[in-house]
Amino acid sequence: MDGAKVREFFCKIIREDEDVSVGVAAIRTLMEIIKHSKSETVQELETNLKDGINVMKNTDYPVTAINSGCELFLRFITLAALDTRCFSDCKKIMLDRGHLFIKKLDEARGKIVKLASKFIEDGSKVLTHSRSRVVLQALRKAHKQNKRFEVFVTISAPDNSGKQMCKELQAEGIPCTLILDSAVGYIMEQVHFIMVGAEGVVESGGIVNKVGSYTMAVCAKEMKKPFYVLTESFKFSRLFPLGQQDLPEEYKYTSSVRKNSDLKKVHPLVDYTPPAYITLLFTDLGILTPSAVSDELIKLYL
Amino acid sequence: MDKTKTSTDGSSKKEKKHHKKQSKDGQLEANLAENEVSHGCKKEIVNKTNNDATTGTVAQKLSEKELRRIEWEKKLESQKGITVTSNDQSVGQQPSEKELRRLEWEKKLQEQKAGDTGKETLSKAEIKAKRREQQEAQRQAKLAAENAKNAAENVKKVAATTPIKDPGKGLGKVEKKLDFPKKETKKTTDVHKVQLVQHLYAEMPQKKVSKLLVYNNIHPAFVKLGSQYLNKTILGSNARTLALMAALKHLIIDIQTPPKQELCRHLETVLQTCTNHLQNCRPFAVSMVNALRNFKLHLTQVDTNLKDSEKKAKLQDVIDVYIHDDIYKAGDAISLKVKEKISDGDVILIYGCSSLLKKILVDAHKEGKKFKVIVADSRPLLEGKEMLRRLVVAKIECTYIFLNAVSYVMNSVTKVLLGAHALLTNGYVMSRIGTAQVALVAKAYNKPVLVCCETYKFSERVQTDSFVYNEIGDPDLLSKIPNTEDPSPLSKWKENNKLTPLNLLYDVTPPDFVTAVVTEIAILPCTSVPVVLRINAIENT
Repeated sequence: MDGAKVREFFCKIIREDEDVSVGVAAIRTLMEIIKHSKSETVQELETNLKDGINVMKNTDYPVTAINSGCELFLRFITLAALDTRCFSDCKKIMLDRGHLFIKKLDEARGKIVKLASKFIEDGSKVLTHSRSRVVLQALRKAHKQNKRFEVFVTISAPDNSGKQMCKELQAEGIPCTLILDSAVGYIMEQVHFIMVGAEGVVESGGIVNKVGSYTMAVCAKEMKKPFYVLTESFKFSRLFPLGQQDLPEEYKYTSSVRKNSDLKKVHPLVDYTPPAYITLLFTDLGILTPSAVSDELIKLYL
Repeated sequence: MDKTKTSTDGSSKKEKKHHKKQSKDGQLEANLAENEVSHGCKKEIVNKTNNDATTGTVAQKLSEKELRRIEWEKKLESQKGITVTSNDQSVGQQPSEKELRRLEWEKKLQEQKAGDTGKETLSKAEIKAKRREQQEAQRQAKLAAENAKNAAENVKKVAATTPIKDPGKGLGKVEKKLDFPKKETKKTTDVHKVQLVQHLYAEMPQKKVSKLLVYNNIHPAFVKLGSQYLNKTILGSNARTLALMAALKHLIIDIQTPPKQELCRHLETVLQTCTNHLQNCRPFAVSMVNALRNFKLHLTQVDTNLKDSEKKAKLQDVIDVYIHDDIYKAGDAISLKVKEKISDGDVILIYGCSSLLKKILVDAHKEGKKFKVIVADSRPLLEGKEMLRRLVVAKIECTYIFLNAVSYVMNSVTKVLLGAHALLTNGYVMSRIGTAQVALVAKAYNKPVLVCCETYKFSERVQTDSFVYNEIGDPDLLSKIPNTEDPSPLSKWKENNKLTPLNLLYDVTPPDFVTAVVTEIAILPCTSVPVVLRINAIENT
């Protein structure tokens, strides 16, 4: 598979299936690369995969999830490669494992939703930021359990993805109010907790998410409101940002923006929320405190 | 030197002036005397003698005046001839001695006349008796006046100078000294020990004892190492561990298995005595304990069927691998990781001296990163000077400050890098005393704090304060001020039982103040220490 094909395949998945997150799409693409690869050695296959990852990173989709998902997948494969002799066997094992991996990923969201929906109580008011598929499903699930609650959604500039979130919630019959990004402080005192998704979870236990999450987390901390993050474990990445400045550029800006313009004048897409502001992370590994993220990462990668 | 010369010249000049003044006028001197008591000590001694003389005469004069007045009044009473106005006048004008004598003489003449002409004639004997009475009264009055005057003078002197001449208090002191010496000798062991860290004094190395020790069964390399630890010529956990490993290699080369014994078992016992000796010189660092544990583990695993020379080669290999992998390679890996975090224009604050930090900064500088370094330092060891020297040699732009200026510079700092003595299971960082303060200030200013630490310094201990496990350094170091000729005001602390300098060597920094720990494995939050320990334990077994 050459670069153009990889790109096409990757974009097609995302376009066709609204419910698939970018990370999963990336992993599916990698599986496709393995399937069609004509390489004869593990080494060659790995370079093929890395080329594919680079192609995906250069699309305008958020890099955070692509990065962590692919890293995890590669790790999965290198471990598999160690215990086989023949390359064709190895490839077969990789594909089997890959399918298993994807299956597990598909189940992940269900697990999170199950865990998180218990935290939504009757009569509670929830604040959420931007659009997150996991949060949406968790709210949906709670609604189906006949819990009565109210949701506040930020518009989330610049792409106004909050509007879509609000529409989807209202379609479900969940009472929902769209608020301004700048009204986070105003609304904070009346909500009971905050539920957001994440594009990536970093080594420190903090999250990388749509810009504005940090503001919300700081505000929540000050008002003593719990700040919950709903995220799949494949979004865990081995990155340790010390602050907003330390966040990689490829995370903050799309590839086309990075090539063309003066970055100081472009709005960043994501910000980094340090672990101190996060109450709990709901993942398919269970409900974790921020400090447990690093433990899980060490277990995965060492 | 020049300064001291000029100062002595100045003081001698003053003294000369002073002498001139003294010779000028006694009366003036008496008035000035009070003021001059507050001047320098030397002057005071000169003054004192003078003072005594002058005040003495003044007292005499005054008392004479008074006495004469009294006398006069008495005579006036007895002889109502002289008017009261003249008396008032004389008191107001303070008549000179001549006048007084004249008046007295006149009075006496009048008295005699009266006696001659008066109705009550007195015999010569009676007059003599009367005079004797008067003289007696005069003498007593004089004494009383003088005493009063002296007492007043004494009080003034006490107020101006420190020594207390009160006989009562002096006696009390003597009594105390007589009462307490026995108790004091008993207490000397407890005196100068801080209650909170009593348990740490037991571990304190005792210099005298170690000199007298007969080094039985202790390898010379360890004897040397012991004295180096004791004198703090080898400082820092990395350096200490490396030195220990080097000594261990010497021991392995030189050891000879006694007949009917196995090398490794014999080595174990020998090593035990050697390490005991080292412990007596200075308590082990966590890194040393870990390194030794690793070696002992391998010692038990050596194949007993091998020849001695092969065993030795294997053991030496173990040490080399440990030094290479866990210390040097780990340092390289950490350096690489920190390098990513150092960006152009950074101002990096470091504290004290750390071989690892030096390596990191020099590596980053070689890479072409443009950053400034602020070296914070603290007494008594002033390790920061060595760090500064090393960084300046590497041509890194540096600023040198003391710990108390950290909050001042923190505003301009972008990152804080710290070394560590050990990382504890609960995420606390054990490091050079003062590190916690730096981290605290950094936290207050929202600056990222990176602790650089190899995983071989991770410890299973849990500690939330710096008292349970610590090390006490030489308390004399606190009272000595380097590079000054003046003796420190604290130099005689041993004589004051109420004064106890406490020189702790380490403190613990809570994980709240630390953004991340950079290890060779990854950049981790402090809280991940137990996971790393668990994984290392699994790998080793």
